Amino acid sequence: MPGTAEATVSFLARADLDELIQALRAGGRRLIGPTVSDGAIVYDEIQQAAELPHGWGDEQGPGHYRLTRRDDERTFGFVVGPTSWKRFTFPPTVPLWRARRDGTEVSFESAEPEPAPLAFLGVRGCELAALGVQDRVLRDGPFADADFRARRANALIVAVECTTSASTCFCTSMGTGPEVRAGYDLRLTELDEGFLLDAASDAGTAILQRLPVRAATDAEQARASTAVAAVREELGDPVMTDGLRDRLLANLDSPGWASVAERCLTCANCTLVCPTCFCTSVGQASDLDGLDSTAERHWDSCFTPGFARVAGGGDFRARPQDRYRQWLTHKFATWVDQFGTFGCVGCGRCIAWCPVGIDVRQELAAIAPPPESAARSTGVREARFVVRATAPAREPLVQAQASPAPAPVAPAGTGLDFLPAVVRSSFPETADTLTLVLGDVDPAILAARPGQFVMVERPAFPAVPISISRLSEVHLDLTIRAAGFATAELTGLGPGEGVGLRGPLGRGWPIEAAVGRDVVIVAGGIGLAPLRPLVDRVLSERERFGAVRLYVGARTPRDRLFGLDISEWGTRDDVEFAETVDRAGAEWLGRVGVVTHLFDTAEWDGSQAVAFVCGPERMMQAAAATLLARGLAPERVYVTMERHMECGVGLCGHCQLGGFFVCKDGPVFSLAELGDAFGREGL
Amino acid sequence: MGRPTTAARLRVGVARFTSCGGCQLTLAGLHEALLAVADRVDIVEFAEVLSPRSSGPYDLLLVEGSVSTPDQARRISELRRQARLLVTIGACATTGGIQALRNWSDGDAWRAAVYPQPQFIHALRTSTPISEHVTVDALLRGCPIDPGQLAELVTALLVGRRAQLLDATVCMECKARGTVCLISSQGAPCLGPVTKSGCGAICPAFGRACYGCFGPAHPANVEALKAQFADQGRSDEEIGRLFAGFTANAPAFRANARPPLAVLDQPPVGPEPAARISHGFPGVPPLTASGDDDARQ
Repeated sequence: MPGTAEATVSFLARADLDELIQALRAGGRRLIGPTVSDGAIVYDEIQQAAELPHGWGDEQGPGHYRLTRRDDERTFGFVVGPTSWKRFTFPPTVPLWRARRDGTEVSFESAEPEPAPLAFLGVRGCELAALGVQDRVLRDGPFADADFRARRANALIVAVECTTSASTCFCTSMGTGPEVRAGYDLRLTELDEGFLLDAASDAGTAILQRLPVRAATDAEQARASTAVAAVREELGDPVMTDGLRDRLLANLDSPGWASVAERCLTCANCTLVCPTCFCTSVGQASDLDGLDSTAERHWDSCFTPGFARVAGGGDFRARPQDRYRQWLTHKFATWVDQFGTFGCVGCGRCIAWCPVGIDVRQELAAIAPPPESAARSTGVREARFVVRATAPAREPLVQAQASPAPAPVAPAGTGLDFLPAVVRSSFPETADTLTLVLGDVDPAILAARPGQFVMVERPAFPAVPISISRLSEVHLDLTIRAAGFATAELTGLGPGEGVGLRGPLGRGWPIEAAVGRDVVIVAGGIGLAPLRPLVDRVLSERERFGAVRLYVGARTPRDRLFGLDISEWGTRDDVEFAETVDRAGAEWLGRVGVVTHLFDTAEWDGSQAVAFVCGPERMMQAAAATLLARGLAPERVYVTMERHMECGVGLCGHCQLGGFFVCKDGPVFSLAELGDAFGREGL
Repeated sequence: MGRPTTAARLRVGVARFTSCGGCQLTLAGLHEALLAVADRVDIVEFAEVLSPRSSGPYDLLLVEGSVSTPDQARRISELRRQARLLVTIGACATTGGIQALRNWSDGDAWRAAVYPQPQFIHALRTSTPISEHVTVDALLRGCPIDPGQLAELVTALLVGRRAQLLDATVCMECKARGTVCLISSQGAPCLGPVTKSGCGAICPAFGRACYGCFGPAHPANVEALKAQFADQGRSDEEIGRLFAGFTANAPAFRANARPPLAVLDQPPVGPEPAARISHGFPGVPPLTASGDDDARQ
């Protein structure tokens, strides 16, 4: 047992293993451990030692897993099977909240996580690292998943060091195994005649004290160390992780992506067996009247067809190669930016359980090959734990990650609760768009910053992210286009009817960055909605800014929003205002043409200006190019990115754009932050 | 923009074309859920269950079965005119069904071999999905359809929201229920990775490889899966047989299906048109069986 010179190591005879099982189950704890089922070793509830896979092993390769009979009676003589502990810390389906409608009133009630105390028996080094990765993603960020937190806090961990390996294992490269070094309550290493045991927590010590153990001999400890070291030797170092993040991101346009997509089934198996993948979607189960509904979170995957789709059918990752690239670059590159660690722990499940045997190790070598000069060391490398200090070349936007401040408790599992608000009035803007004026809004939501958004829910309908289009001391405006059923429901609401709001979410416009500078605001279509609170703020504090230039485009005169505001902006002499439409009939006397035409021949110098741009992505690209050409610095051109959003707090995984979660890191970004992610296809 | 008034009762009909009748019995098999539904809808046409008949109009018409006779081709056009929403249910209605295997064969020869008086048999050369004849608003797949999906579709219609029908592969459902993958652990010829989700992965859960009755997922990389089956030592015939099942005529499977006794490499039928809306509740956006609803605005 390496690295445990000072700890007391005990020996438990094989015949006494059930004593450990019963000690773990004492007090009503559910024990989850390995057992043979349906031709594999899976993790399931264990009542007694006899249910453990004594004498079973496994043989694994790409797309291949077979149970094998060992020629000894080893209990942990296998590697890892199709189940991961994620199934118990982050189950496939979890209820999040219940929403009800009674007359015009709506109410929301978060599900209270009530996990039974669990014990996990047989957690491998790679799996312990995976739990640590999950902690970073779901527990230690600015928003925590309450259900995960409760399950994790209640789980006792009995780790096992690996004395056997499979051809799919690469823990040695990811620095997660085969040894077990930290993060466990009890640690176990198997010998023919029994088990070496040591405790690393009070709970572990308490259990150890109840077992019929004796002190392990030096010889026994030496044999255990040798066995684990032999596994390390056997595995070598198959994946060159040094510089891997940068190599992968430098190869986003590699032909290797299309090549692997020819073999990839986009079936999602890799992500579902992965012990760290955390992407989810929310579904609504409702009664027939839509008066009572329950929102449930279920496992999803970046390989499913709707995962990156947004209103109107736009799909940011339409091609299989886009989806495979998202999976691989997330695991081995952007995860580092987001969470300071790789998302892969080297367990090899995605290799064995890929129906066509795609091997991530080979894809990494093909797409992001190590430099020729880096001769591979064949010797034993020091284990590098998954929590590594790889400094990303580009500073991630995730501000709160490094801060040890406690994360807000998230009763609904995804951040904040839904709070009811009431529709006071609604104003039609265009044929399919209207503005809802909401009252009785929670003060925390009214304190939103310009550019932030809220998740809006009616019972029985999915929650939708809507930008705040005006803020006052008592009201909050939402400008909504009826693009689907949920938005049709919202735009059909009359005065007095209730909605649920969760927020405010996202990073708003960085107004302070514009103080003392010229301000350029460019809006296209409904992109004016999230910009209006910014315009309101700038105009109400007009003296803090230099020249203010406001350019607004719409498709046709009938698509113009906020007619009263536009009239007012047009008459102010402290604002340079111009407006255009893409197409118009004879009734339109104003400008016709794309919005960039409003300022591409203007006289002003942009070198000291700050720009805020919102509209369709192609329009923002054109505007950004024009603004940069006018001398604006990329650090001072801000755009808002659109992506599929469900949770709004960086936990569901849908809105990823490279290393960013658009919901919490954005949706406002500077061009400098986005870099070449801005406008790149398939990200 | 108004929601459908919750007090409105929907007139629902069930029509049967060439099929076994099992899918429409799924409606009867909803039991308690059907009682709740019955409180909100008038089932005016359901020949397998109700004696009274109605020829329409319908707010919702569930159509089971494929079009395989000239009479049926005429009748589906008439029914389309009577239905505000037409939803096809089951593998027959959505792909042509198991009977579409005849599309690969010489129908006249079979007729002559089977029937003493073949001149009285008026059948079309092919068995085709409803969507090749009329516009379909939504579809429920499977042989038979999944009762949960049917209940969700009716609920969504009554509430006025999109039906939440998982758009993924059968693998998603195997993993959610914890079923061990039959391909990796047994080398079984499972079509789950290229088959649309919705069944709850029933067959693999009982150790039986998926035979694709929900039809192809989108996308369905059939070529890659076939290559894997070939690597496992399966012959072209055997692999072709796997795809020659209840949804053999679905476009992504059709070119790969090799029914026994086939005389044609490809059946003489056109591509399946995408389900699309032509009718709907006033003010309610199009209903489609999958896809995203609303996004950030």
